[in-house]
Amino acid sequence: MNAPLRNEAAQLLAISRLVDDRPNERIFQVDRSIFTDPKVFDAELRYIFEATWNFIGLEAQIASPNDFVTTHIGRHSILLMRSAQGKVGAFLNTCRHRGTVVCPFKQGRQKFHVCRYHGWAYDSGGRNVSVTEEASGQYPNSFSDENHDLVPVARLGSYRGFLFASLSADVPTIEEFLGDTRAFLDLIADQSDSGALEFVPGASTYTFDGNWKLQFENGLDYYHFASTHSSYVDILKKRNAAAGSGAGHPTEADDEKEGQGSFSFDHGHAVNWSIKRAQLYGRPLGMDPARLDAVRQRVGTMRAKWMLRQRNLTIFPNLQVIDISSAQLRTWRPLAPDKTEMVSHCLAPVGESAAARTLRIRNYEDFFNASGLATSDDNVMYELCQTGYEATTAGPTQGYLRGAAQPGTGPSVHAGELGVHPPEWSFGAPGFGGETNFHPGYREWRRLLQRAAGKFE
Amino acid sequence: MAKSAMSDIDANAVAAATIFREARLLDRGEWADWVAMYREDAVYWVPAWLDEYETTSDPATQVSLIYHDARRGLEERIERIESRKSITALPLPRTVHQISNVEASETGPGQISCDSVFAVHVYDPRIARGHVHHGRYRHLLTRDGEEWKIARKVITIANDRVPTLLDFYSI
Repeated sequence: MNAPLRNEAAQLLAISRLVDDRPNERIFQVDRSIFTDPKVFDAELRYIFEATWNFIGLEAQIASPNDFVTTHIGRHSILLMRSAQGKVGAFLNTCRHRGTVVCPFKQGRQKFHVCRYHGWAYDSGGRNVSVTEEASGQYPNSFSDENHDLVPVARLGSYRGFLFASLSADVPTIEEFLGDTRAFLDLIADQSDSGALEFVPGASTYTFDGNWKLQFENGLDYYHFASTHSSYVDILKKRNAAAGSGAGHPTEADDEKEGQGSFSFDHGHAVNWSIKRAQLYGRPLGMDPARLDAVRQRVGTMRAKWMLRQRNLTIFPNLQVIDISSAQLRTWRPLAPDKTEMVSHCLAPVGESAAARTLRIRNYEDFFNASGLATSDDNVMYELCQTGYEATTAGPTQGYLRGAAQPGTGPSVHAGELGVHPPEWSFGAPGFGGETNFHPGYREWRRLLQRAAGKFE
Repeated sequence: MAKSAMSDIDANAVAAATIFREARLLDRGEWADWVAMYREDAVYWVPAWLDEYETTSDPATQVSLIYHDARRGLEERIERIESRKSITALPLPRTVHQISNVEASETGPGQISCDSVFAVHVYDPRIARGHVHHGRYRHLLTRDGEEWKIARKVITIANDRVPTLLDFYSI
């Protein structure tokens, strides 16, 4: 191995050691520099985002032939299309000729995408259908022998209409990658009689001046809720008092033990959930007793019960799906060590009643919009953390051990209810908010960097 | 042409006075006076953008950036800020609303519709960062005795990628 490659490998290994994970000693520390160092950021884009499965969209976004949406995997612009024949494809959105972004639009329906620079054209299946003036005799045979189609992603996978893509072929199958998180995607999809999900029109995009891992952690963090979102909780309580005691809000059976917990899964994924005797907000699924009964009949009482429990799912590295007062699907795109772009969608089962849909929308706007009453608080907190992380002489933060006193590793009653097998789980009182559920993401982060280092050797 | 009895108002002057007063109250943080300009059943709506060209048009079936169908929604936002429990308001940014291109017309008895454009300069002293939110307003004003109240306000934001957060005072 030559010296530059050896240096690259050594640097990646050094970065991977910024996560200090010693389970037997109950030590888990994250160096502040992984949130601030441009070298770490570059390594993350190349060897994490651009080397594993990323969520890229819902099949429902491209329901008809020739539908397209554009998105990103790491730094790569991605064109997700349904071909004229109905096949889903994901391509690097860069012209084979000069690298120009072929499709500069957010979404639409087009049979052909013509690069406006020199006119090369591609069909909705990604096939090159025109190299401008190729027949004029100016090109050598070596050019004509080349393939000129849009470059497809290395792997494309779909589960229940959730589309994932990887720029590296060296990944497990999508089923293996998702593992038991599939049970939690099912809990959302199966709220629809047809099993179909859709984005409610009106996605929003926002940025915060902080590292993407702040969002990754926050989506698994129940500890912050009472303090960060206390002004939102006050509003909910006041509304409930005005409307009369939470009529129509979902409840748990009297013999159900209240509490909060999490499951940690392989490949960096984790989910938080809570069991509350009474909830502060109504649920679209819970507001219509007849429909809820029908769902119970179809999926069984156990899974229906879990559909009404708050669940915050993180699929590493770029997806969070939250099902509480509404359902949100959000992705992040790292722009810089200290800048992240978020895209947030309201997720909904196809076929719910008009009243349930409107409740879903109002609850979503309330909580999840950056113009709402809760996410806005999170975003400011991320920025305060980002600024605080610059204080490197303060040493590692102490935010990764809550809940580590009693880690769950054997059988879990709750996992048993869903038939999932998390390697680690937690469950505690209603105020429980563990931080051990951040560990899988950081372990996968470290594994991917170490794997990349290994490839240089 | 003879004026009708109802049109002896100067719609443009009434609308401009109302909208400029609203801007001043927002910039000075005089929330109680500001929200009192709205009818109790006022609609306050900030649509989202569907794509490069079109905004959402139906709050019942599409997600808006903000949608309140009663003044209460605005009052909740004020309470949240005044509680000093929301970090978004600790500290509050300083804002300057600049409004122009005011075009109003009387659309019925005691009713004025007004289009205008805005640039709200927002400065966050926490991070010494400035941002301009810009776009269009459409106000619907209705007469309530001697007063004109805001019955409906639609805010269409041109630069809709939200930096960190957006609230009623910054648009």
